[in-house]
Amino acid sequence: MPDFLLARRRGHTALIAALLAVGVSACGGSSGGGGTVNGAGGGDNASSTSDTSASSAARGGTLVVGAEQEPDCADWIAVCAGNIWGSYMMQTTTLPTAFDTREVDGSWTLVPSEVLAGEPEVVVRGGKQTITYEIDPRAVWSDGEPISSADFAYTATQIRDGEGIFDKTGYDQIEKVETPDEKTAVVTMRSTYGPWRALFGGSYSLLPAHLLRGKDRNALMKDGYSFSGGPWKIEKWQKGNSVTLVPNDRYWGAKPKLDKVVFQFIPDTAAAFQALKSGQVQSLYPSPQVDAISQIKNGIPNTRVEVDAATGNLEALWMNNARFPFDSKAVREAVAYAVDREAIVERLYGPLGVEDPAQSFVTPLVGAFAGSDFSRFSADPAKVDEIMEADGWARDGSGIWAKDGRAAEFSIVSLAGNKRRELTEQILQQQLGEAGFKMTIANTTPAELFGKVAPSGDYQLGLWTLIDQYPEPSLSATFSSRSIPTEANGNSGINFMRARIPGVDELLGTVDRSTDQAQRRAASLEADALIAADVPSLPIATVPNVLMTSDSIGGPVSINPSEGPWWNLEEWTRG
Amino acid sequence: MASLLRFSLRRFAWSVPVVLLASFLLFWAVRATFDPVAKLRQGRDAGAVQREIERLGLDRSVPEQYLLWMKGFVTGDWGTSTRTGGSVSSLIGQALWPTVQLMFWGVLLAAFVALAIGVYTAVRQYSAGDYVLSTLAYVGISLPAFWFGLMLIQVLAVWPVQSLGWSEPPFYFVGLHTPGQSGFNLDYLRHLALPLATLTVTLTASWSRFARTAMLDTLSSDYVRTARAKGVPPLAVVMRHALRNALAPFVTIVALDTGVLFGGLIVTEQIYSIPGMGRLFLQSLQAGDVFVLVPWMFVVALAVVFFNLLADVSYALLDPKVKLR
Amino acid sequence: MSAQLETPPVAAERARSQWRVVARRFRRHRLAMAGTVVLLLLIVCCFGAGVIAPYPQNEQDLLVGAVGPGTDGHLLGTDNLGRDFLSELLYAGRISLSIGLAVAVLSTLIGTLLGALAGYLGGWVEELIMRIVDLFLIVPAIAVLALALRGLGSSPLTIILVLSAIGWTSIARVARSQVVSLREKEFIEASKLLGASTTRIIVRHMLPNLAGVIAVNVSLAVAAAIIVESTLSFLGFGVQPPQSSWGQLLSDAAGLLGTDQTYLLIFPGVFILVTVLCVNFIGDGLRDAFDQRARRR
Repeated sequence: MPDFLLARRRGHTALIAALLAVGVSACGGSSGGGGTVNGAGGGDNASSTSDTSASSAARGGTLVVGAEQEPDCADWIAVCAGNIWGSYMMQTTTLPTAFDTREVDGSWTLVPSEVLAGEPEVVVRGGKQTITYEIDPRAVWSDGEPISSADFAYTATQIRDGEGIFDKTGYDQIEKVETPDEKTAVVTMRSTYGPWRALFGGSYSLLPAHLLRGKDRNALMKDGYSFSGGPWKIEKWQKGNSVTLVPNDRYWGAKPKLDKVVFQFIPDTAAAFQALKSGQVQSLYPSPQVDAISQIKNGIPNTRVEVDAATGNLEALWMNNARFPFDSKAVREAVAYAVDREAIVERLYGPLGVEDPAQSFVTPLVGAFAGSDFSRFSADPAKVDEIMEADGWARDGSGIWAKDGRAAEFSIVSLAGNKRRELTEQILQQQLGEAGFKMTIANTTPAELFGKVAPSGDYQLGLWTLIDQYPEPSLSATFSSRSIPTEANGNSGINFMRARIPGVDELLGTVDRSTDQAQRRAASLEADALIAADVPSLPIATVPNVLMTSDSIGGPVSINPSEGPWWNLEEWTRG
Repeated sequence: MASLLRFSLRRFAWSVPVVLLASFLLFWAVRATFDPVAKLRQGRDAGAVQREIERLGLDRSVPEQYLLWMKGFVTGDWGTSTRTGGSVSSLIGQALWPTVQLMFWGVLLAAFVALAIGVYTAVRQYSAGDYVLSTLAYVGISLPAFWFGLMLIQVLAVWPVQSLGWSEPPFYFVGLHTPGQSGFNLDYLRHLALPLATLTVTLTASWSRFARTAMLDTLSSDYVRTARAKGVPPLAVVMRHALRNALAPFVTIVALDTGVLFGGLIVTEQIYSIPGMGRLFLQSLQAGDVFVLVPWMFVVALAVVFFNLLADVSYALLDPKVKLR
Repeated sequence: MSAQLETPPVAAERARSQWRVVARRFRRHRLAMAGTVVLLLLIVCCFGAGVIAPYPQNEQDLLVGAVGPGTDGHLLGTDNLGRDFLSELLYAGRISLSIGLAVAVLSTLIGTLLGALAGYLGGWVEELIMRIVDLFLIVPAIAVLALALRGLGSSPLTIILVLSAIGWTSIARVARSQVVSLREKEFIEASKLLGASTTRIIVRHMLPNLAGVIAVNVSLAVAAAIIVESTLSFLGFGVQPPQSSWGQLLSDAAGLLGTDQTYLLIFPGVFILVTVLCVNFIGDGLRDAFDQRARRR
């Protein structure tokens, strides 16, 4: 069953029912707990390294990838924005962005892409910010038309002024886009905007003005489009069955080595793994559900497994700070000491080599802005008793804490049908039960949870994943008191826990508005520490991302936590 | 022939009010379960929600909305999916074809196998073959289909590769064609085998029981005994007399079950990644896509009505004792 | 008058001997008897799980995790949370069997009553009831089930109610046609002439004659409900944790196909298969036992 995620963007709140089981992103390479795991316990599978030497790389060949989900459509800024699978398999591979997410000195950073001739010039004057993008003269669309400043202007206005746009964060700050010449775009922001690098990148891409202007963009794009400004173009989208990519001959950067990549849609996990085992597909990007991890642990012959722990996916225990019993800081703190997060992470992701709980609400994708202040919480029954007793609670006859005649009973809500979360809930139920808290499970559907239950605050405890989609901090969307959903803000915030922590709003405001990276970072760390001191909720795990590829696939196979597992598909080979 | 036509029309006329009532109840149930603009509500454009509510008339009463929807449905405007933004009629149209293929082959296969088993086990009642086939039929009826499907994949597609070292599996289990292939060819058959087996195991098992009972009934009837007494050869008795009479109830049950099968392919399509009606339903249900769910159910209900009609007609045609009224 | 008054005792006598014949025929049906014994055993084990199960329900051992059958006193191994799988299966069986039995009883009750009413009263009542039956027949059951469970939430109780609400139609059709044929029989006519009330005629005369059909239907409904419940679980509409059923265990383990933990997929499947098989054998035995023409098997 698909599972739904909550994605947060900076500053604003976007609730995506992003149709993917788990993850948005993961981190390739050496930093932060990444690495290659060969199925432990399988025994018979040969170990191999993740980077097969390039010398043996052959050109040509077809790659078939098993995709858990089919994108609903391909209009990446409206109806089908935020669809992780669509974005990974089609958007990233076919549409250009101004900035790419790349690893620089061990942390993920937005860097100028091949579309740009270099780092844009940023000027702050009179409280306004102008960004001057110089476009690479070689950059062209697949029909030969140059990628131009008009494309910047078109994309910006489509997102800022369009109807049914998924998320206008940042773009709503754009005052104007000037096009002094074909290859220069000057964007003026109404005020300073810290995460400006995420514009024309992040989760959106540049769109070809010469093909779309004055036409129905949604109609032209939703069923797939033939234009491209990336290394690949969509050859065919056979609904329900597969998407086929072929190289874009006009691409000015490194050309794809494979002749063809087919993404075949296999919704059933069991069938997907069997398809990999029987060679019908050569790559899978499974959500790290219990069954997938068991399959990996068991070993799949002739298959490498990339595991990245430093992703943008944070699974947390969300407490409703406005509802009994979590309106009491003592209870929140006691619960944080009652939950054995190490044991949960070990049980869920241990076989992938992931063992450390998340210690901040800022994900490793935005690692430069993250503290580790939650590390003070580990399972400690004595501490639980101490805190609860100090707050005036006493255990009743059945061993449950009670105060003023009210027992510490509450229910947890998560997404029904998600095996991993159901398992986590059952572990939590047992751990909290031992610590004197009675927890019942009441799961619901994604639409219900994110459309109604969480925004209206009609829950006590919740378990879901929050996603950072690109390496810009986004704490204000979840922790600023201005992000509490209310009538006034159109129920748009995702501070579903109703946290109001003194001092945090100001610090997060600095993170959002300053253009000084060092200042932003310091403010973010300070906010992180204040949050951990108040324990408005409890981070549990960074959900790892997993990529499985057959040994016949060569090239630098790795997962980009923002752009997905196929961010460098053009370098993959098949031998 | 004229009487047959009249008969069919009469039956059809009867089902119209039932179908209409069913569609209204379904419409109401779906609207009561899902918020049609839930997806928009997750975005932040409050104006968009209001505009959509007005455009779709969601602020009106359910009966009014139903009439509005019906009007659109009849005139060919089936609305737009909230999930894909595409037209509902084309979504359902695309999903129908794979399902029709599965059903066609599945029913054909199951009916023939079941009939063969039924005739054999009835004629050779209490033989070893009867016991074995009857037991198998019981097992077939008792299997959860998805479990059986998964086991088939493991045994018939994965093991040959993993344990026997075959370079590719004898049967495929993803979709109905390898991407890039189409048409009726070996590739198609290799994709079709496992889903068909999964789909037909329960059908074949229960139909074979039915065929056996029907055959036993006719074999013990007076006219068969008379035919035997007259010295008609045993094979001719079975084929010409017994089978012909057992065929009417058998075909009826096949037609009735086929109608139900239409919506019941969900599990098979899910396991074998076949983009048919079953998967469309699951996806729409998960996304709360009311604009697909209602027409989906309507189309399936129409299919059931059609096959019920077919059952009646075939019974009337096959059973000489029934006169058309 | 006096002769007519003597009729009921005689009829009762005949009914009793008829039951004896049925019971004797059923006992001679070997598969049905075997099915009965195994099913009873399963029912006792599952509902007595509190006493019989080797471990308490939901007792986790995260450090152990999943171990194979026969390890450390776990006859059928443990699941991913280190819970004894045999115990989990027995506790899950409670829910599965409860759903199966409750749905069978409830749907048969509703179906028989409405069917008998339709058949006996005829006229607009019959028309109304049979149109409702038609209504249920043409809407796709699995879709309505999924929709209803999504709307109402999947607890064992809602599953039972929804399955019964959909399952009563088939028995209603059969009951109606049986009653229609009975309606014309002499002894019913006689009772009517005697001034017996409608209720009395239905309860005393019609229902006993429907016993065979009812008994067979109950068994088929148990089988169908257990299978449908497992399918619903696979599609994500089954009972929610911490409760579990065989179908839920089965669907939980679906993705483990081909791993060392395939046993987690095999055992619940076998439990379902065996239970449904037993129930079907019993149904077959009952059908033969009640069949006037009394064919073996």
